[in-house]
Amino acid sequence: MSTRDDAGFRSLADQLRSWDDDRLAGLLVARPDLTTPAPHDFGQLASRATVRASLARALDTLTRLELSVLDALVVAGQTTATDVRRIIRAEPAAVDATVARLLDLALVWETRSGLRAVSGAADALGTGPGASGLRPRSAEPLPVREVTRRLAAVSPAARAMLDHVADHGGEATAGAARLTVLPEDAATPAEELVSRRLLVPRAGTTGTVQLPGEVGLALRGGRTTTERVDVVPPLATAERSADLVDRAAAGAAFELVRRVELLLDHWGSHPPGVLRSGGLAVRDLKTVTTLLSVDQPTAALVVETCQAAGLLAGRAGTNGDPVWVPTDAFDTWLDEPPAARWVTLARAWLDSPRLPGLVGTRDEAGKTWNALAPELSSYSMAETRAGTLAALATMPPGTVLAATTGLPSLVEQVAWHRPRRPRSRTQQVAWTMTEAAGLGVTGLDGIASYARRLIGAGDPEPGLAALLPSPVDHVLIQADLTAVAPGPLESALARSLQLVADVESRGGATVYRFTPSSVRRALDVGWTAVELHDFLGKVSRTPVPQPLTYLVDDTVRTFGTIRVGTAESFLRADDEAALSELLHHPKARGLGLRRIAPTVVVSTTPVDVLLPRLRELGAAPVVEAADGTVQVTRPDALRARSPRERGPSVRSVRESARVASVVAAVRSGDRAASARPTAPATPLTPSGALAALREALESGTTVLIGYVDNQGVSSDRVVDPISVEGGSLTARDHRADDVRAFAVHRITTVRPLSGT
Amino acid sequence: MSDGPLIVQSDKTLLLEIDHDQAAECRKAIAPFAELERSPEHVHTYRLTPLGLWNARAAGHDAEQVVDTLLQYSRYAVPHALLVDVAETMARYGRLRLEKHPVHGLVLASNDRPVLEEVLRAKKIAGMLGNRIDDDTVAVHASERGNLKQALLKLGWPAEDFAGYVDGEAHAIALDESEWTLRAYQREAAESFWHGGSGVVVLPCGAGKTLVGAAAMAHAQATTLILVTNTVSARQWKDELVRRTSLTEDEIGEYSGTVKEIRPVTIATYQVMTTKRGGVYRHLELLDARDWGLIVYDEVHLLPAPIFRMTANLQARRRIGLTATLVREDGREGDVFSLIGPKRYDAPWKDIESQGWIAPADCVEVRVTLPTSERLVYATAEPEERYRLASCTHEKVQVVRDLVAQHAGQPTLVIGQYIDQLDELAEKLDAPVIKGETPVKERQRLFEAFRTGEVGLLVVSKVANFSIDLPSAEVAIQVSGSFGSRQEEAQRLGRLLRPKEDGKTAHFYTIVSRDTVDADFAQNRQRFLAEQGYAYRIVDAEDLPA
Repeated sequence: MSTRDDAGFRSLADQLRSWDDDRLAGLLVARPDLTTPAPHDFGQLASRATVRASLARALDTLTRLELSVLDALVVAGQTTATDVRRIIRAEPAAVDATVARLLDLALVWETRSGLRAVSGAADALGTGPGASGLRPRSAEPLPVREVTRRLAAVSPAARAMLDHVADHGGEATAGAARLTVLPEDAATPAEELVSRRLLVPRAGTTGTVQLPGEVGLALRGGRTTTERVDVVPPLATAERSADLVDRAAAGAAFELVRRVELLLDHWGSHPPGVLRSGGLAVRDLKTVTTLLSVDQPTAALVVETCQAAGLLAGRAGTNGDPVWVPTDAFDTWLDEPPAARWVTLARAWLDSPRLPGLVGTRDEAGKTWNALAPELSSYSMAETRAGTLAALATMPPGTVLAATTGLPSLVEQVAWHRPRRPRSRTQQVAWTMTEAAGLGVTGLDGIASYARRLIGAGDPEPGLAALLPSPVDHVLIQADLTAVAPGPLESALARSLQLVADVESRGGATVYRFTPSSVRRALDVGWTAVELHDFLGKVSRTPVPQPLTYLVDDTVRTFGTIRVGTAESFLRADDEAALSELLHHPKARGLGLRRIAPTVVVSTTPVDVLLPRLRELGAAPVVEAADGTVQVTRPDALRARSPRERGPSVRSVRESARVASVVAAVRSGDRAASARPTAPATPLTPSGALAALREALESGTTVLIGYVDNQGVSSDRVVDPISVEGGSLTARDHRADDVRAFAVHRITTVRPLSGT
Repeated sequence: MSDGPLIVQSDKTLLLEIDHDQAAECRKAIAPFAELERSPEHVHTYRLTPLGLWNARAAGHDAEQVVDTLLQYSRYAVPHALLVDVAETMARYGRLRLEKHPVHGLVLASNDRPVLEEVLRAKKIAGMLGNRIDDDTVAVHASERGNLKQALLKLGWPAEDFAGYVDGEAHAIALDESEWTLRAYQREAAESFWHGGSGVVVLPCGAGKTLVGAAAMAHAQATTLILVTNTVSARQWKDELVRRTSLTEDEIGEYSGTVKEIRPVTIATYQVMTTKRGGVYRHLELLDARDWGLIVYDEVHLLPAPIFRMTANLQARRRIGLTATLVREDGREGDVFSLIGPKRYDAPWKDIESQGWIAPADCVEVRVTLPTSERLVYATAEPEERYRLASCTHEKVQVVRDLVAQHAGQPTLVIGQYIDQLDELAEKLDAPVIKGETPVKERQRLFEAFRTGEVGLLVVSKVANFSIDLPSAEVAIQVSGSFGSRQEEAQRLGRLLRPKEDGKTAHFYTIVSRDTVDADFAQNRQRFLAEQGYAYRIVDAEDLPA
């Protein structure tokens, strides 16, 4: 394969055919729409690559420079690489690299006489970003020198008119101007221009003139544009210590992890309903804002990030209505260290097409967007996020975006990289910045050092872990009955403290408050006064204040004054003796009787069993009340299955396998086509086919068979027969690159392929 | 991760670990913008509030300074949302300015047009404004200066007041520092007030707020109106001013229920100012009786609502508020900010105590157990009766006796809420009682006798809560209070905190009935002091040394 100017190909298909597998695979990865469905051969691949829709998609991924180079090729027509370098206002090296990339994308190919943009490129570029607005050169362009000479010769009025036409689409109506006139006879500036062939009549129309490409180029000093196209708009930056940026970002990161944990813990036991339209009700989002003490956009971001990370999903609730609950992945997530948890969330956010920024705003129909609503996503969002972070990552450490000019400059730079992205980009970049700040990817409008690894290679986790508070094993207990944990507590300790005290403030540190009811809560689950004192003495780095000791003792004093128990039935009698007699009756042992007061006995036997037994014992009881016992159970925390969303790495492995198979298929299809004998083969009877197949099997030759599949579609397949048995041919199908079985009676033709 | 003393929580509280090396330095750095919420022994809690941040803006700090301070001292990463919020909140102050226009008089000006437009569209403000002068300026009715500031604060766009003050009628006032000197913090407080124009000085009880007021008057050199809580406190102001300044008794007038004098320095009570007859305030003309150059508000946290309304009309005069706490039980801190002015000076109690200006205190809560008979009565009583029943148990009398005996020879106050109970105690303890019906003369005589040591034990009702200087009191025994007011607890302890000659520790006892609402309320009240760093000990009445 060669990119030399004098080499070249007959067609785009020809050029593609000459590529090695890696380069083909590269093309299919960059333009994934070409692979579905897999093209039959290079001819089909080439034609698909020039289809308008596919071109539009490909152009969407180009930078400003790439679009300009493509545009220059359209203007220039078929031309040499040297010429291209000359007419583009950019560094020659940059132009060469860009041309190579356009070749790789099959947007440009090498003809025998130079480079050429694919035919649909001009239409696809339209008047959009990157288009210079120049018309293609005429078929036999005047030499540059001649154009310059003629331009110099025209009158000022004509020159002004020409400039106007050049700046306004390169086309004009001729009006009354005569189109066939000599320069000497020209009466108006328009006639003057037409006579000098600086404007030419547009082919196939009457009364329209246009500016030929070579004239346009000459007007712009021989280039397609007046300004440089390879200059990436710079970011407006300000100085800010990298350390501060990291700490501000890590603060947000820690908050995010904490909020997700708090929210999902809560929803595990109090799940909100799934709206019929699939989202989260506004009221439920409001509850989240209170729970997390954040504003609504942040709440929406947290909720959306939970879902993107697969920690939150819908499932049927206890009454059958769908509810949002944490998935089982949440439990695994909880076991990881905070930094790893954050990485999971941040990566999910980066890849997510969701638009949390829209939550709370209204759509065109005036309906409020709900968080988690299925339609709240945009195909370009993930790309915008990646592009924005990549742009931020170009800032050296110690610099951040400038306060007011930073965001517009960032939008401009992102726009330079993807000029054809939609109008909403400004908004999307702004959202990305807000979200990134909320997530802890950026801090003070600068990207955090660990977050650089999120988009590049490497693992952000160690960098972040170093910035997060390390767990502490003690608290400071104070006389106002608060305990302050000056950092995140070890989890066992945190659980115990949450039992004996109420959480008052959360964050890097946690403030607990001891109240009589919190101490009672600990007693309720079986702690004793001694255990409580021991625990407090152990976890407090300072002496336990006297009021707290007193509080514990005082609560213990009143704890259990009233006792509650369960019994199936009770027996009441004013006659204490009657009850005593019953209790001591030898046959009453199995009734589970227990005296709780002189005149009250309770029993573990249900009334309907107890009653006949008592009667057997000679007592004459009456039923006083038919009240059942109430069983109180705490509902289990609910979990849904994690959605089977695959991580980017799995996705890419699968993708490359798929691309490889498509490459193989195209190649074999192409071979089938090229090897196809010119004359149509005569259809064979099944027995004839059988014979031909056996022969091929014996000789080990590859054959081209005509096959009618289940749907009645006839196709040609290149196969290596392996065995012919029971009316069925087993053979390796080149197209599928796999062993397949073919019914012999459906095989219409068998032709040996030459050369194999 | 640094090792700073400060932990910034996302709920906008700041935890300052005070055993840390940098704690003192950090405290100084954050004090201008964070409100000290509680200061127990190990970790102090500060809170970032819009008012606090605006106070800082008014004092000339900017958002970047605040953010840098937080980041510098913070032990952990600071939540981003909080930093954004700080910056946004602080940016709101001063977008609007009240200015004096050479032609149009008082105007509201802004260089942020959208803000001005937003404000102009607010219904509540429309009536206070005059014509639009140009795109960025609107005339303001001079009489609405205060109301406008109040309304703008509610809208979240507090205006900075550059409209200046009238000088008032000049009157020479100087501090007479022949026998004493102004303490450093008092001088500093008066100076920061004077540079700020108007505002509030926060100093603990007993730290000499009166002198800060006097120093402010010496700065103003003008006729002064002093508003105080009650008559006794008015007399004390007068005595103090005569003693500490060049003012003579003839220059100071008292304007109260009994006397109505208007002199170059006039001391009026809130009560007389808010007295209505026939639906109108009778004494409003006092505010215009002279061309006052300075208005002093004593105990700003008690300022009654009508005074706020009157103050709204006094915006052209310099105002100084004196208080021990900006916490108002009615939550009108915002009105204090917009009508009197931002906080100009603040010092935490403990700091002043450690400088030896106020006495250290030992707080003890004594719990008595109700006898079974009283418990039964209590259990079946109506809820509104319960507190009185629990507070007034006879068990308390014995405990008070024991405590009085224990501190025999030390000047002791017994403080209570219920007159019956106080009468009973007075009788049992054989001590004089001061309550609402005691004539002012008699009150003053008793207080004077207590001060000189002639009377060693006084039983007082809530009339003694405020502004009465009893520097000699060493022991206070509180038998009942008004439903757990934190404010009241602070004031009562304040009675004790005047420095003692020999640096003796003051004792503060609260007697509560166990397992009743009395104990619940007591807990509420103590919280304030526990949070100020005064640890309570709790003992059972049986465990008291007899």
